[in-house]
Amino acid sequence: MKQTPVASINTVAKRLVGRGNLVITRKSVRDSLVSVAALIGCQVRDPNGKAIGKLVDIVVRHGEETYPPVSGLIVKVANHKSFINGARISKLTQKEITLSSTKINLENYQRRPGESLLDADVLDHQIVDVDGLQVVRSSDLYLAPLDKEIRVVGVDISFVSFLRRLFPALIARRPTPEHVLDWAMVASLTDSTGVVRTSSSKSALSQLRPADIADLIEDLAGREQGALIEMLDPDLAADALEEMEDDELESLLRGLPAERSAQLLARMEPDESAEVLRDLGSEHRESILSAMEKSVAKQLRELVSFDEDLAGGIMTTHLLVVKETDTVASALKLLVENKERDSSDGVVVVDAKGQLVDHIQTVELIAAKSSSTVLDLVAKPFPTSVQIDTPIAEVVEEFSNNRGSSIIVVDEKNKPIGRILSDDLVDALSRSRPRGFSKGSGVLS
Amino acid sequence: MSINKMVAKRKIRLAAFLAVMGPGVIAGLADDDPAGITTYSQLGTQFGYRMLWTLVIATAALIIFQDLGSRIGVVTRQGLIGLVRQKYGARAGSFSAVSLILANLGTMTAEFAGVAAAGQLFGISRYVTVPLTGLVISYLVLRGTFKKAERVFFALSAVFLAYIIAGFMAHPNWSSAFKGMVTPSMPLNHQAINIATATLGTTLAPWGLAFIQSYAVDKRLTRDDLKLLRADVWVGSLLTGVIGFFVVITCAATLNKEHIFSITDASQAAVALKPLAGSLAKYIFAIGIIGAALLAASILPLSTAYSVSDLTGSPAALDDNFQEAPLFYSTFAAITIIGGGLIMIPGVSLVWILISSQILNAILLLPLLSYMYGIAKDKKLMGEFVAKRSSLNIYGLVIALVGVCVIAQFWFLFHN
Repeated sequence: MKQTPVASINTVAKRLVGRGNLVITRKSVRDSLVSVAALIGCQVRDPNGKAIGKLVDIVVRHGEETYPPVSGLIVKVANHKSFINGARISKLTQKEITLSSTKINLENYQRRPGESLLDADVLDHQIVDVDGLQVVRSSDLYLAPLDKEIRVVGVDISFVSFLRRLFPALIARRPTPEHVLDWAMVASLTDSTGVVRTSSSKSALSQLRPADIADLIEDLAGREQGALIEMLDPDLAADALEEMEDDELESLLRGLPAERSAQLLARMEPDESAEVLRDLGSEHRESILSAMEKSVAKQLRELVSFDEDLAGGIMTTHLLVVKETDTVASALKLLVENKERDSSDGVVVVDAKGQLVDHIQTVELIAAKSSSTVLDLVAKPFPTSVQIDTPIAEVVEEFSNNRGSSIIVVDEKNKPIGRILSDDLVDALSRSRPRGFSKGSGVLS
Repeated sequence: MSINKMVAKRKIRLAAFLAVMGPGVIAGLADDDPAGITTYSQLGTQFGYRMLWTLVIATAALIIFQDLGSRIGVVTRQGLIGLVRQKYGARAGSFSAVSLILANLGTMTAEFAGVAAAGQLFGISRYVTVPLTGLVISYLVLRGTFKKAERVFFALSAVFLAYIIAGFMAHPNWSSAFKGMVTPSMPLNHQAINIATATLGTTLAPWGLAFIQSYAVDKRLTRDDLKLLRADVWVGSLLTGVIGFFVVITCAATLNKEHIFSITDASQAAVALKPLAGSLAKYIFAIGIIGAALLAASILPLSTAYSVSDLTGSPAALDDNFQEAPLFYSTFAAITIIGGGLIMIPGVSLVWILISSQILNAILLLPLLSYMYGIAKDKKLMGEFVAKRSSLNIYGLVIALVGVCVIAQFWFLFHN
């Protein structure tokens, strides 16, 4: 399993910020850790010390809080799996669980939205270690009192803790805090109702590079993949999706609801979206497109119709177009308005008929007087353009002749309709690599 | 997708399929390892054509479960042992891991036994061949030059295709062979039960199931690759079955016909190739055994180490060094050293090891197949790929068959 992406210095630096806020580093918390694995199966007692039943599972409520509080216990009382509200726990330590009253509700526990069961849903399941950038398995979970409630504060992924559960008599049941990841640094994905998300893991995830998130997504399977996507900010998710392998992305989208796919694809670069839509097949494609805003869907439909071996098939239609008569100030304003979309390298200038005149770089606009018109800046060298139906091989040639970072695509009337960035070309060329079993190098390497 | 692209894609995939055979074919060929060849030889030598039907069932079971294993791997993106831990808890996960390790250790020992037996045909002592084999595979696998070696091993083990020609040249009784394939009958004695169990255990080997699933996870095969993977599983499994079939009928038409009813060493098994190769028979047999043994012996410790790290949840691979993945390398070393060490015990019977390791396989298959059954019907894990009622019935039938063999095995053990 290859799960060791090299974190850039930038992400490492960012991750180190905020470490001081992790509760697992507090001595008071470390001294009061309670192991969930060791707790399951323990006797739950009433105020008089009389045994009520055995602990089956622990219910937590996960909302926007970083450390989810225990909302109740599931206790086996006379063949019923009764729910006991967390407010009625008077004492919870590694050795004893005592309730504040003797009253027991004999109804079987019904899962409510926003709740998950620590033993059934989280323990032994895969979790994302946001700090270490890998998918790991939880060997144990730790509870500790924090902000007036008992909360999940950490997760243990060590093999020693796993063995501790198998041979409780041989190895002390003492938690080993040095192997414990702070709950804020993990993203637990397995839950039948939704996602165990914490605001911190969400923000920790948001500090990762899209390429690293793409790797994490690829390491997970269907339901967990969907859950991880749900945790991400849609713009970041869209960036990560752009970094995924074509077939991985395709199978991911097959598993997502059409609305969600539509939302993500609309935020991706149009050429990348068009490519995956092309591969999805007409039925699935239509259900996604119909969930999109009409103008975006129309644009994507057009792109999908181009052959992907031609310039039209790999271009992005995202283009900032200004007229010759526009002022430099308005061109700059347009650039600022679109700063989110990686188009900061300049604007395309067209004449009154809409035909391509020039491409003007941002630097040139900044250097010019803001009251002057764009036409004043039009000068050699004029940009290279290709027709929509230019084969990719020729586009490559044009690129290497010009040494530019992008090339403009025009229709038969010389109107600019898109552009091809060098990375689009890299994608298009790398797509022709052989696939299938030849992906890796050896049998299990 | 344009037509051009579709054709291009298909061409590439076909080329990739031919150039690098998939996990199904690897597992299939490695299944015809020394233990497999010995078991099939014994099946034909002891019982003629009569028990060919056990091989038919074993091959069908292999296809069914390899197919399931690859599907589980693709859909869940998790290895078998990790999934058992997630679904059934820490104890079950460890139990399945221990079962797999024991089965793999047995089979690894059998691979060394095969090399030892083949070495003896060339007159080389096992005290030379066994340590040498251990060193060679450790070097190849750990130095990462395994990919090239893999091709060589493939080629060597392909020598067993010679059994197909030998089968025809031995003029077997085809109608008896056909009858043996379709009419289940067997003498109700310990020997017959032994060999039926070993046939199941060697064909539907536990390591193969874990291997194909981890392969699908490790290579990040997607749902789109499933068709290709399925084809690969069918080809590989049928290859195992067909080679097995010809081994059985060759032995039935030669050894059994000449009233040799039990194989006690490799030179006897090699006699089956005499109609084809004459005096060269034993060398051809030895080369095939060595190739198949090395192929399987390179994959086995690796697959086992992979499963152990799967249990702990700590991702491990050959790109990690010892500090990063101590458990991975320790398992690899332990399997190789213990497997080789057992063969070095003076006076140990190689044929006995070869066959009883496969009976052990069958016993340890029971928990592993049952866990797979449970995973297959888990809607939460498998989603739209959850097994249908009819498939589950077939999985259940295979498990029941293995169960009957194992129970009969123990019954005879205590009533003799």
